[in-house]
Amino acid sequence: MRKPFPVRLFSTYAGLLVFYLFLLLPIVWLLLSSFRNSDSIQSGRLLPAWPELTVRNYIEAFQISNFTTYMANSFMVAFSVMVMVVFIGSLGAYSLSRFTLKGKRSFMMAALLPQFFPYVLVLIPFYVLMSNLGLVDNRFGVILTHTSITLPFALWMLTGYFNAIPRELDQAALIDGCSRLGVLFRIIYPVAIPGLVVAGFFAFVVSWGDYLFVSILSQSNTTQTLPIGLQTFMSSLEVRWGLITAGTVLAIVPTVVFFSIVQRRLVSGLTAGAVKS
Amino acid sequence: MSTSSAASHPQAIWRRLARASFGYILLSPALLVILGLNLYPTVSGVLTSFTNQSLIDPGHSAFVGLENYFKLLQDPVFQISLLHSLELTILAVLLQVVLGLVMAHLLIQKVPGIHFFRSVAMITWVLPIIASVVMFRFMTLPNYGLANILLTGSGLGALARNWFGDEKYAFLLILIMHLWRNVPFYAVAFMAAMQAIPTDLYEAARIDGAGDWRQFWFVTLPNLRYIILVMVVLHVTFTFNNFDFVYLSTGGGPVNATEVLPTYIYKQAWNGYALGYASAGGVIMLAILIVLVLACNKLIGGLSES
Repeated sequence: MRKPFPVRLFSTYAGLLVFYLFLLLPIVWLLLSSFRNSDSIQSGRLLPAWPELTVRNYIEAFQISNFTTYMANSFMVAFSVMVMVVFIGSLGAYSLSRFTLKGKRSFMMAALLPQFFPYVLVLIPFYVLMSNLGLVDNRFGVILTHTSITLPFALWMLTGYFNAIPRELDQAALIDGCSRLGVLFRIIYPVAIPGLVVAGFFAFVVSWGDYLFVSILSQSNTTQTLPIGLQTFMSSLEVRWGLITAGTVLAIVPTVVFFSIVQRRLVSGLTAGAVKS
Repeated sequence: MSTSSAASHPQAIWRRLARASFGYILLSPALLVILGLNLYPTVSGVLTSFTNQSLIDPGHSAFVGLENYFKLLQDPVFQISLLHSLELTILAVLLQVVLGLVMAHLLIQKVPGIHFFRSVAMITWVLPIIASVVMFRFMTLPNYGLANILLTGSGLGALARNWFGDEKYAFLLILIMHLWRNVPFYAVAFMAAMQAIPTDLYEAARIDGAGDWRQFWFVTLPNLRYIILVMVVLHVTFTFNNFDFVYLSTGGGPVNATEVLPTYIYKQAWNGYALGYASAGGVIMLAILIVLVLACNKLIGGLSES
């Protein structure tokens, strides 16, 4: 490759600096503030003095009685949603990709439609449905809800992925005496791991971040998740921003860790449903 | 189906039958979720919009025809929310496409350290929206927010204010949060598409005497048309339907200055108990969204022919 001219190099870095200052500054400021004591935060100074740095905010965040419950609920819900979406989605995608089904095309289109529905509209019948099923203020109700809002996209994406896997692989395995289900688990799964991980990540992130559905379907803090918790902190701990920022950092760590694992595949995965098929 | 063959090869028939239905069995859980938990609730929501269903007694409701729709269209706050939703969606998506193209152009450059920039780009997209709202509210606090610290520090203290509490700036901040979250997603998607454009197209353009700008206009842009359409449709939907950014940062205030359709409808349903009325608002949203998506398709689909 030809070396870029210094002018171009300089302007590229200048442009990147502007964009990344905008993108990363809020995160850096949040991180920095979560380690400052409240005098330091309220001092109106840009940088803290060394003795003002502390991990007390994190210790106190864990001591607020509900915080660990919110965290546990978030983990339980998001993890279950991820497993359900990947499992149900991959079974469905295997079927759509490898079997002749009547009405396949119309089903695929019908599955895409919900992506356009306003959630505030869907939420109303959802609440009525869940209260009829006795699943209001129940973690399973939240899991079911999050599964339903993430499954259509995961199904599309995984069908695209599976379609790209050569059928000769299946046939060879079938001839060797592998069952149809065995083909999915032994042949397709290993090859489609990047797709499965992106689908799982998508489900996890949506569930982890959802405020809207949880705000109505969970009514007590035994089932509420972190977004509700952070919103409650923000409005009730009004001036204790050290604590609020520490809680927020704790809430974003899992998504950031998961993101760093899938980051390479993320975009090809997220746009696969649109490009393939 | 002939009975004799079934009698002579019951196993073969059974296997064929099982094979044919196996596909449906595999699909059934997904089918159940999509029909039962996506399409049914939506149809049910549309039906609710023609009733006076209330949260106080959801079991009993009466058919009221189009009454909710007539009331909504005369509701001044609904009109304001509709206007804000359209403004926000159109402004956000337009700016996201432009900024996404600029950022993609930067990310595609082969300069030292570019892999770092590419790999962290989408971080803002994966964070829970509540976390982004905490960051922006914290940065714009009236007394010790970063924005005011920086303004005061550079001698512009007169401009410092309570940003989210200011009617003029609250809407701008909502817009900025949408850009902050989504521009990198555009950039990374555009970058991937740019890398797939054959380099000989650029060489041919250069031989024809096309400069950077003309190469971008006549080679890059036409080749990105499809991914632009995908991203625009995705984000028109996201922005128009998004509830969290506004509700968590301003709650629609100050004085309705940031009220959008999702927040207004949510409040009608869950604070005003008017489920039927709110559903009608949701159906209007859906109708507008369909028009917006079709318009984008027409507009961007048409760009290639010109």
